[in-house]
Amino acid sequence: MEVLNNLAFGFGHALTPENLLYCAIGCVVGTLVGLLPGLGPLATISLLLPLTYSIPTGGALIMLAGIYYGAQYGDSVSAITMKIPHASSIVACIDGYQMTLKGKTGLALFTAGVSSFIGGTVAIVVLASLAPTLGTIALKFGPTDYCALMLFGFFCVSFVTTGSLLNGMAMCLLGVLLGQVGTDLETGLERFTMGLPSLVDGVSLVSLALGCFGIAEITKNLDAKEERTPFNGKIKLMPTWPEFKRIIPSALRGSVVGSFLGILPGGGPTIAQFAAYGLDKKVSKYKDEIGSGAIEGVAGQAAADEAAARTSFIPLMSIGIPENAVMALMMAAFIIKGIQPGPNMIAKHPDLFWGLVASMWIGNCFLLLLNVPLVRFWLSVFKIPYNVLFPSILFFCCIGTFSINNSLHDIYTTAAFGLIGYIMMRLSLDPAPLMLGFILGPMLEEYFRRSMLLSRGSFLTFFEHPISATLLSILGLFIAWQIYATLKGRRTTLAPADPHAASG
Amino acid sequence: MPNQQIARGVFLAAVALFFAVNALRYPIGTLAHAGPGLFPLLICAPLLIIALATIVQARLADPEPLQFSPRNIALIMASLIGFVIASEYVNVTVGIIVLVFVAGFAANSYSWVRNLKIAIGLIVVAFIFQRFLGLNLRLL
Repeated sequence: MEVLNNLAFGFGHALTPENLLYCAIGCVVGTLVGLLPGLGPLATISLLLPLTYSIPTGGALIMLAGIYYGAQYGDSVSAITMKIPHASSIVACIDGYQMTLKGKTGLALFTAGVSSFIGGTVAIVVLASLAPTLGTIALKFGPTDYCALMLFGFFCVSFVTTGSLLNGMAMCLLGVLLGQVGTDLETGLERFTMGLPSLVDGVSLVSLALGCFGIAEITKNLDAKEERTPFNGKIKLMPTWPEFKRIIPSALRGSVVGSFLGILPGGGPTIAQFAAYGLDKKVSKYKDEIGSGAIEGVAGQAAADEAAARTSFIPLMSIGIPENAVMALMMAAFIIKGIQPGPNMIAKHPDLFWGLVASMWIGNCFLLLLNVPLVRFWLSVFKIPYNVLFPSILFFCCIGTFSINNSLHDIYTTAAFGLIGYIMMRLSLDPAPLMLGFILGPMLEEYFRRSMLLSRGSFLTFFEHPISATLLSILGLFIAWQIYATLKGRRTTLAPADPHAASG
Repeated sequence: MPNQQIARGVFLAAVALFFAVNALRYPIGTLAHAGPGLFPLLICAPLLIIALATIVQARLADPEPLQFSPRNIALIMASLIGFVIASEYVNVTVGIIVLVFVAGFAANSYSWVRNLKIAIGLIVVAFIFQRFLGLNLRLL
């Protein structure tokens, strides 16, 4: 009952005309960005961060959250109609695009829209009931536990998002190092600033994000020289009743999987989609059709996608540790607004927390209303050629950087990170873990120093506290398993080569 | 073509060494009373290990060529720097024109007319930003 009470309180905050407007703007901008190539949710959130300085806190957070889940939805539209996923909708390309080839684009889009709605709704129930409980547990966390939790998060994100533990960890560590640039909070000493006054306050988050995700991405698209063919097919949106009945069970399964995977460190929409798709392939009544354009292949993953996008707010708002790069940026937005996400947030700012939760459901309705009937309009966005789009995105990157300090010179920093981001991309290094490391870096250092101070310099303290000991043991097992798997993999690839070499 | 994996290892090692050498210049302190140099140094160590592991792995695996075309990134960098310089010494309107016309060389095809249209559009957007969002842009 208390949850309902709290939700009613939240709706009271989210349903003000102002907040409704911010939510609508967030959803529209998010969908647009999800559709367009060259700007992911990360770049957009960082681009719009400076704009939110002048907006009241509640509205700003509602808008940023809207951008995030709106972008998830927009991404699936471009994946279904043209088989181009930008950020995360790799799974939607499989059955969604098959349905387009069969002339069932409308049905696929409707399925994705309705399933996203179901997924989002289930996730909000999970969020509303779980986050406050988790928050009370998080109050028991000490500095060692936070350190272990962050390291655990780094490992999970590295493994999940990049697929290569080595590359992902390297980027996390690089991010932590970049987070060290600037004035040391305890001693006031300037570190790694190379004498540049612009680095005394540290590397600007917006410059880093726009460089690595905006400028580097634009250059990559220019290098590819691909011309996209806009979608011109017919769209018949409304499904028949038997088709509609097939959506529901699959969407519910996807919602549960997505809600669960969204909470885990390193989790989030991408892995949730794969898991939901895999589950449908095993248990669905129509499992034989999946892969060749089945409704279930779209419904389950779309629901999981939206569910995970929302439940990934749980660790951020209850423990204070973001679990992926987008959440790390959201955390930066919270901090800019003077709010420290963590166990005390819900108690201290109930209006913000419950308002945000309620706004997510309103955003859900917006997305459904805006996108399912208006999908034709959205698809016309694709008719803008990239040659027109990219100078505009470059300009917005410049304006976004400029608006933080009203300083043109900050654009040099953004350009420098664009170059570094491009080099990293050519070296197959994914910048998403870098972002997470960058934002968590200063926190990691603070908690590390604090735990060392409390233990008088003994590393054993990490194994004396049950939570950190458990997390670190899991990590240890994980690394051992990785090394074993690599060595075993090498032996099996070498083994067939050996007899051949002996005979030759 | 250099091997991508080796290049990656060298890049990571260079970053780790840069931060490590600089961190050594700051007071290290003890574990119980960490100085500003200690934590970066602790982070550099695993990064360096990963870098070396990457290089070793590269020697064992099949080489992948490094794909790097300097043209587009150079043009984009030039357009951004041009924007800053032109905006600083003349005004943002000229800055936008420089940005669009230099970046335009990176497109599939070059067209003066198209660039002009984009530039006019962006100047209008900049005007809206200045007027309605209170952004401090010097357009004239």
